[in-house]
Amino acid sequence: MPQQLAIIVLVDVGNAIADGTLDGNTYLFDNMKLHGSDGQGTGGLVTAINGAYWADGSQASEQVLNWLPYSLGSIPPTVPRGYQSDRARQTDREALAELDALAARPAAGADTAGRLDKIRKSVGTRIKTTRRTSGRLSNEKVLDVTGEVVGDLGTGSYSYPGPIITDIYGEAVDEKIMYPAEYGSPDMVTDGWYWSATVDTSRPGSYAYTMRIQLHKLVVQDGQALWHPVNLTCTSSLRITSEPKRNAFTKAGMGYLPVPMHAPPTEGYAGTDAVTESARSTG
Amino acid sequence: MTAKTRARETPAPAKRPISITAVVDCVGVLATGSMSGQLYLYDTNKAGGSAGFGTEELQTKAAVGDKLLWNCLALECEAYVGIDAVVIDPEVCEPERKVYPGTDVAYWTGIVKKLPAEPVPYEIRFLVGTRAQSVPTTLSPTLTG
Repeated sequence: MPQQLAIIVLVDVGNAIADGTLDGNTYLFDNMKLHGSDGQGTGGLVTAINGAYWADGSQASEQVLNWLPYSLGSIPPTVPRGYQSDRARQTDREALAELDALAARPAAGADTAGRLDKIRKSVGTRIKTTRRTSGRLSNEKVLDVTGEVVGDLGTGSYSYPGPIITDIYGEAVDEKIMYPAEYGSPDMVTDGWYWSATVDTSRPGSYAYTMRIQLHKLVVQDGQALWHPVNLTCTSSLRITSEPKRNAFTKAGMGYLPVPMHAPPTEGYAGTDAVTESARSTG
Repeated sequence: MTAKTRARETPAPAKRPISITAVVDCVGVLATGSMSGQLYLYDTNKAGGSAGFGTEELQTKAAVGDKLLWNCLALECEAYVGIDAVVIDPEVCEPERKVYPGTDVAYWTGIVKKLPAEPVPYEIRFLVGTRAQSVPTTLSPTLTG
């Protein structure tokens, strides 16, 4: 049983918003296919958690789950952190440089309107920041799936922000099988936050859980673009098994590892004797 | 929209590009040297009739003039995967490698030029970890008209 396990929640955001449900639009992975998980890459993932216990029945190893929500068909999470904000600043600078060039040559005549229109397009559309969207989605512009700013929102070819998990609850939590919480992280791919849980493997069985996931759809209100939150849920489950802790080398019960207690002295290598001597004195 | 000079100022609403995303079990590929069983393909055209989601034989429903975009995700966030090439009949589509502006993160994109009645199989070659040689898809995803 690995101590840390990542569960990827891949959401087809555009279709989920259009359908009003995550059912059929969410694909889950935990990369534990070889350890008994079922339904990799589908909405019906069952995560296998193979626990172990000591001779007295107490839990022998920790299992930690981490959830990573990604958006299908958006700018990938592998671009640098704050990429959307960086692009907003970068395109502003480019537009200012173009305006500067235009001001330097005012005698362009009829061409000026066309050039101004081109600058307007290259500026793109800034997202209006509201109290609800301040923070993560502020200071951004609407980008398309290739990272370019979108001037005309009518085309619908913009990249959706990644899904955000806002809660994990349900049977597995009510039964105190897992203890999920949201943590701050320096990890670049999770935008600084991630959901994680520790799992109690002492009570084998199947336990369902539900994730509340926030998506964002673009709405234009009074001529201004803003990301409107859409809250949806999807379910998954854990299948917990537990077996006695055993020695992975001997496949037998716990005991001494089958290695010599004292390494035989090696000639010509002073360090070995020193280490052996030190081990004897502390042992 | 009859005059050609006006076309640039008021473009017809472009269709949303169809994104094809490959989720790759990087460690599995490195261990087996093959994409078989280690690849999950998805696209954003489910509503339009695409099928085979989560398999290696994704059938992307497309039409002439559609913009396609391929990118990939690693199952472990620490691992590297990239697309080395998308090999498809050049009469149907000529994908080219591009990067997101200001980064070295790449994607492949192309316009569907022609679509015969029968499905068009293609191959994606993946760069995985530090392996020098790319790994091709074992089964073929297709474009269908």
